[in-house]
Amino acid sequence: MRLHRRQMLQALGLGAVGALFAESRSARAGAPAFPTRVVFYVQPHGHVPRAFKMDAPGPAGAVAERALGSLAEADLSPTLRPLHRYRSRILALEGLSHTSALADIAEVQRTGGDLNNHQIGVADVLTGARALQRPGTYCTGGARSIDQELALRTAGPGRFGSRVYGYHYVPNSVISPFSYLGPGQPTPMVGSPAVALADLLGDSAPVGPATTRDEKIRAQRPSVLDAAAREYEALAPRLGPEARQKLDEHRALVRDLERSLQTRAPRCAGSASGGGHEVRQFMRVVRLALACDLTRVVTFSAPVPECPELGYPASQTMHGYAHQSILGDTSCGQAYDPVAERAMTDLDAWHAGHVAALLDELDAVPEGEGTLLDHTVVVWLTELATPTHQHRDVHTVLAGGAGGYFATGRYVRYPQTLPNPLAGMPATGPAHNRLLVTLLQAMGQPDTTFGMTGATAADGTPLSFRGPLAELAR
Amino acid sequence: MRSGAVALALAVALAACGSDVPVAPEPTGVGPAPLRALDNVELLNTLRDLFPDVKAELPPLPDDVPVAGFENAVEGQRASDVRVARIEAIAHVVADHATRDPSQVRALTGCDAAADAALAQRCAAALFDGVGRRIFRRPLADEERARLSGKLEEWRRAIDFAAAVRLTLAAMLQSPRFTHRVELAGPGAAPGALVALDGFAIASRLSFLLWESGPDDALLDAAARGELDGPDGVRAAAERMLADPRARRSLYGFHRQWLGLDRILLEEHAARAPEVDAEWSRATRDSAAAETRLFVEETLAGGGTLRDLLTSDAAWVDGEMARVYGLPPPAQPGVFTKVTLPRGERAGLLTRASFLASFSHRGGTSPPVRGNGVQLRLLCQLPISPPPGADLSQPKPAPGEGPRTTRSLFEERTRPASCQGCHAGLNGFGFAFERYDASGRFRTQEAGLPIDPRGAIVGTDVDGPVDDALALSERLARSRAVQRCAARQWFRYAFARAPVDVEASLLDSLTERFAASGGDPRRLLLALVTAPTFRYTRAEAPP
Repeated sequence: MRLHRRQMLQALGLGAVGALFAESRSARAGAPAFPTRVVFYVQPHGHVPRAFKMDAPGPAGAVAERALGSLAEADLSPTLRPLHRYRSRILALEGLSHTSALADIAEVQRTGGDLNNHQIGVADVLTGARALQRPGTYCTGGARSIDQELALRTAGPGRFGSRVYGYHYVPNSVISPFSYLGPGQPTPMVGSPAVALADLLGDSAPVGPATTRDEKIRAQRPSVLDAAAREYEALAPRLGPEARQKLDEHRALVRDLERSLQTRAPRCAGSASGGGHEVRQFMRVVRLALACDLTRVVTFSAPVPECPELGYPASQTMHGYAHQSILGDTSCGQAYDPVAERAMTDLDAWHAGHVAALLDELDAVPEGEGTLLDHTVVVWLTELATPTHQHRDVHTVLAGGAGGYFATGRYVRYPQTLPNPLAGMPATGPAHNRLLVTLLQAMGQPDTTFGMTGATAADGTPLSFRGPLAELAR
Repeated sequence: MRSGAVALALAVALAACGSDVPVAPEPTGVGPAPLRALDNVELLNTLRDLFPDVKAELPPLPDDVPVAGFENAVEGQRASDVRVARIEAIAHVVADHATRDPSQVRALTGCDAAADAALAQRCAAALFDGVGRRIFRRPLADEERARLSGKLEEWRRAIDFAAAVRLTLAAMLQSPRFTHRVELAGPGAAPGALVALDGFAIASRLSFLLWESGPDDALLDAAARGELDGPDGVRAAAERMLADPRARRSLYGFHRQWLGLDRILLEEHAARAPEVDAEWSRATRDSAAAETRLFVEETLAGGGTLRDLLTSDAAWVDGEMARVYGLPPPAQPGVFTKVTLPRGERAGLLTRASFLASFSHRGGTSPPVRGNGVQLRLLCQLPISPPPGADLSQPKPAPGEGPRTTRSLFEERTRPASCQGCHAGLNGFGFAFERYDASGRFRTQEAGLPIDPRGAIVGTDVDGPVDDALALSERLARSRAVQRCAARQWFRYAFARAPVDVEASLLDSLTERFAASGGDPRRLLLALVTAPTFRYTRAEAPP
């Protein structure tokens, strides 16, 4: 579905926030229902644990929680402080584990391959699956990631399955994507807010009768796509199965685009104008995409800023700081550096600020009795538990109501009671695969597993990754 | 027995026809030929060659997914809505700009306008025979002509003739005949049988390999005349194509992807720490990439070899690169001018800023990173990831310790025997580059201490100590391991996949040919395009 450019230009002229609304395609007369949307905000490099953690009363061996609603800003941890105004609408999670990544590392230790645990973390965070090992190069995502699974299920005529925006992450001098269409197949990412916006506005087939020659030509775009699709269809029977399947995937997308151009744009208006930090520009595009139901799934691959942006010297890099940032968790005699810890803590708060800005955008869009944020879940996660490459005791934030699925306003701590797939390593919390299952269910899907369904701990204990994290739901 | 007799009789009959006709038994060592889509460079080059007058800015294609550094990798080509939408947008922009002026429409169709359907059909035929054949890279089949001219007529009636031509072009540019490299085995081929590709398919293979673009009219004409049906004709065509300026694209494009010559353009190299090089800027980075590109293109265009790429003291520098290389500034700072690099300081690709700086951190050199660069790129040795928990930060002198060289810090960090399994090689290659700082400038001292530039080659056929990076480059230029790596990567570049087991003997013969010519990529390419893997495909079983 593309908005007609004229509609959009009108909307841009309105400018002010408040002129935004969306109507659900499935709305019944007089009772608008709003679809649930999801935004993945993926922050590279992990969290500094003691900058995130908060006290939660209760025994260490059980799930503990603390209500956030009544807390003053200073009572929140440094990482969560920028989210104070949304404290009753977030779920801050402590203690999940990237157990699937740990199990993968254990397996690669046995079988050989690219054992870089950072690459494995990147490949795992949205897939919950073993990385794809390929000879001669770094490992990469080994399965369709959750955003793309949801994209397949929530795409519709005139609606993109997903939008993937943001910045290439280059942890080992190789671009390492988070989102995958399938094994070894990164989802194309749009790296500029202007291009992302142009995609949404599109040059659609004109709505209403075409009068000028230019409008008449543009009105034929679906017909041109039909001509192209017919060439695909004529060729297919002459090809072998592999080639045929590859062309058929293209053909289906050509037909999708044809249908999209013919779908009447919904009544929707929104402004993505305004300057500011490029990340904020992306956040406005995300709002537009979700508010207009142009997609229900967005993945944002957040940047790693240059040190001077956070007030640190240009000679340093955040990656360099990362390895020295955790007291008692550095190796090879490399000294813990308190400056590095401060830098990585500031980086966490910097991301929190961008997440808060995204929540501002979503909360500015009225939908029914509430706002777009009430019908969305923003998932702020990271590929490593810590900047020092741990994969256990992960910190995660969910924000927004997801249409009433989540019981928000809480800090939840998971106990570290499950044995680790890696020998000699500390116990873990629940597998983050179960968080991915929870998100599938919040999006109305029936799944009880995603990615790996279980693993075996180093001591032989079977570990199950099945089922949602029930305590997060309302 | 009977079929064998027939085959033998056929072979005798063919042998009588002339030396161009292959009489060899069914070729062996031919791997799979998966359906390829054009990669971004191929798509854009082809559009540029088809419509040289169209200068319009095109919507950006989503990045290709490189595998082992190569962007055309068939493993990475998955359909996506973003790509389909971008190609649609590009097709319309190009078709629009290619038909804006009546003279353009006349050049494409021979017609100014077509007032009736019969005339429009004649004009459409000219369109299909001309640019249409270039877009589809073969003559259009009757049913393709019928489908497309039906559409053209529909659009002519709805709008006008010029608009119909424009929309027909846009449709053809979105056809799988354009966006993919369709190679049909032909009707009646037994599933799994090896089938000789027809001349048009060979023309496409040659053209994308040697020009990174689709075939031109001359090449399609040669295909139509049957000149590409045997190895001699393919060889003659390839020789002509390698002499064409368009071959620069592939000779550079291959080396760019094999050796990572554009790594310097990664964002992390946009800056250097002020204490390393306060004058380094984006312009320096861009100049470093451009300088390397010119060096590779000019060296190979002049008949150069891989040995020359690794050892030549010629360079084309602008003001930025003259500064980095310690040369007097050229008369025109913005113009790349041919110079000779300072003797004893610099020669070959491995002493260029594009290599030295892109395999450095912005705050300092990292010998293991440079060593890994040599091993991974020139020797096709897989990166072995550091063990979990390894400290990858830049080592620094302990507080109060006084200045130390980077070399001594890394020697100390990697001294444990558990590190040496990898670091003997990583450090051996890397230490030889320590006389170049993190932006690639030559130095003999670091922190007031003299630099020891001795290194060692480990894990090759030319192992042993070397005095410095120049000696290292000289030695690697003679290495069979490097030549074998080059042959393997040329294979990947040509076929968009890794070689399979049955292709081992082809790799051997490519390596032989390459080594015997002193590393001349043209000799390797001529051997490659005349090999059965290049000229045959395997008929797939229909579903």
